[in-house]
Amino acid sequence: MLYRLKKEISRSVKGAVMLSALGLAGLYALPASAAPTISLLETGSTLLYPLFNLWVPVYTKMNPGVQITTQGTGSGTGIAEAISGVAQIGASDAYMSDAQVKMHPEILNIPLAISIQMINYNVPGLNNIHLKLSGPVLAGIYSGKITNWDDAAIAKLNPGVKLPNHKIIPIHRTDGSGDTFIFTTYLSDTTPAWSKSVGYSTTVSWPAVPGGIGAMGNPGMVQALKTTPYGVAYIGISWKKPVEEAKLGLAKLENRDGKFLLPTVENAKAAAGEMVSKTPADERISLVYAPGAKSYPIINYEYAIVSKKQAKPEVAAAMKKFLNWAIDSKGGNAPHFITAVNFVPLPESAAALSRKQIAEIQ
Amino acid sequence: MVESTNACGIIAMKIPAFRVALIATASFLPLSLLLLIVFLVLYSWPAIQFNQFDFLWTNDWNLGNLYGNPVSVHGQQIMPGARYGIWFLVVGTIVSSVLAMLIAMPIAIGSAYFLSEGVRKSWAGPLSLFVDLLAAVPSVVYGLWGYALLVPLFGQTIFPFMVKTFSFVPFLNGSAGSGYGLLTAAFVLAVMIIPLISATLREAIQMTEPALKEAGLSLGLNRLEVFWHITLPKLKTVLIGVGILALGRALGETMAVLMVSGNALNYLPNNIYAPISTMAAFIASQLDSALQDPTNMAVEALSEIALVLLLITIVVNITARLMLWMERIR
Repeated sequence: MLYRLKKEISRSVKGAVMLSALGLAGLYALPASAAPTISLLETGSTLLYPLFNLWVPVYTKMNPGVQITTQGTGSGTGIAEAISGVAQIGASDAYMSDAQVKMHPEILNIPLAISIQMINYNVPGLNNIHLKLSGPVLAGIYSGKITNWDDAAIAKLNPGVKLPNHKIIPIHRTDGSGDTFIFTTYLSDTTPAWSKSVGYSTTVSWPAVPGGIGAMGNPGMVQALKTTPYGVAYIGISWKKPVEEAKLGLAKLENRDGKFLLPTVENAKAAAGEMVSKTPADERISLVYAPGAKSYPIINYEYAIVSKKQAKPEVAAAMKKFLNWAIDSKGGNAPHFITAVNFVPLPESAAALSRKQIAEIQ
Repeated sequence: MVESTNACGIIAMKIPAFRVALIATASFLPLSLLLLIVFLVLYSWPAIQFNQFDFLWTNDWNLGNLYGNPVSVHGQQIMPGARYGIWFLVVGTIVSSVLAMLIAMPIAIGSAYFLSEGVRKSWAGPLSLFVDLLAAVPSVVYGLWGYALLVPLFGQTIFPFMVKTFSFVPFLNGSAGSGYGLLTAAFVLAVMIIPLISATLREAIQMTEPALKEAGLSLGLNRLEVFWHITLPKLKTVLIGVGILALGRALGETMAVLMVSGNALNYLPNNIYAPISTMAAFIASQLDSALQDPTNMAVEALSEIALVLLLITIVVNITARLMLWMERIR
């Protein structure tokens, strides 16, 4: 009898514990369900990813009804998932092609900021100086025509520098990448042979260079360059700190006026000043290879690829609020966000065009 | 006991509902394989028509100018300049898997022998558990380990050393590369399939008749010779079977190879340290780029790669079955 009693007590105790656990869980979930949270998914460019990660905690603290998830998957994925509707915001360093726009006229390309691309290399002994490289030289390296670091073309740009006699290992992106897009745009603009044979896109058929390596994402590029002596890679400016910590070299690039410049914010601002006025209403324009003595050649708009037609009006309203905050110079484009990733804030003329596009989201 | 189970089975099969359910469940697997092949062929049909047989032996994977306008070639809409040739992928997949098997087999057989006969019975249990746990580790973990540890280690220390010592051997000399390449990928694959082979072999060794081993020992052979001349030949069928299982895993391995292979595009490796690309890793890494193609031909070409991989796996399995059948009739 005592045994039965003990069993009953233990069973009721277990039941009470389970019920209270469920109740607590329910209470915990209650505040969230009281005000429905809108979740937005942002996916895409690994160049824009660090900036989004700075924005999201600050924005969601100010707007607790919105939850934003960020992913760094490559501009190609960003565009594809924005088109298919899986992601609300696709981040991309590349604007959509004319054929894509014709197929999907409801998709907007909205610039959020201006970013820069670095050309990095890992040559033992030369990582602390800034080697001078140009578009034709890089096109030669990536097409296999220039094979060694002490090639005459590189030596001509860098008189007095002792270049090692070693094969160059070009590192490129394997995923659909906005960085590939702007890098190949630079190569196409500077080298007609590259433009005819390979062209520019988020993915290109890289000429077969024995030993050439493919990496995934900007972090993959940094890691591949770190472990590959005598390699050269194109990396987005938001990854400058990991590159500096790994003690990799940063190249000075030749611009349209023949000057060799570092990817600093001032040089990017100069380039932006020349090109932004040419921005059309749909804001699909390349800012690469701008004229001007102080213009750094590889800069680009960072796009949010969004659909005009959203499933729910609350989602559209939340997206409009977030995007408008992002391009506001007191919000996402405030100096402390932008300088943390070495970007350039969106100029006012471009911001006005962006605001007009954001207003079209329903 | 066996007769009564048989009788139960025969009686049960007479019940229509049971019979239908059993046939349905049993045919689920072959049916899904068939449906998979049919789906892949139907989905990649435009790509198959466009590529024809050049697909398999040209080395030119080109998505074309994605920022141009679609053109019509051979009746199919494609981006200008698009060509699909995957010879480098076929070579990369087969060579890396075969190399992985060559590395893994001796080590796995050795470890199986060691665990079944070489250690004290009290240690055999825990050590075997260890090996079984290794077989359960997800492959992406191996990939990350390879990426973070093996690639720098191989590229900066081991490969240059190998190049110096084997400078007279054709495929092992030349440039030591960067650590991302064929040998690293094969090594990571080997580490993944060794526990698989070793666990199965160990159990098979323990199940061989002790009478045979004792006969060998009584003839004066030592334990190692008993293993090599008596036990191992008896295990031929098991070895082939588990070897095919391991080869299948190596052929289809995606993430681990993607992280350490170097992702070569449109060229074949000139030595064992050079970058390669395998079919599974290529499909995974190129999918989001292929989605950018408005004509969808690129995605269909990727599914054609998947079809080729599936057919290679089927051919490998059929070859294994043939070998087993020949063993049995001998």
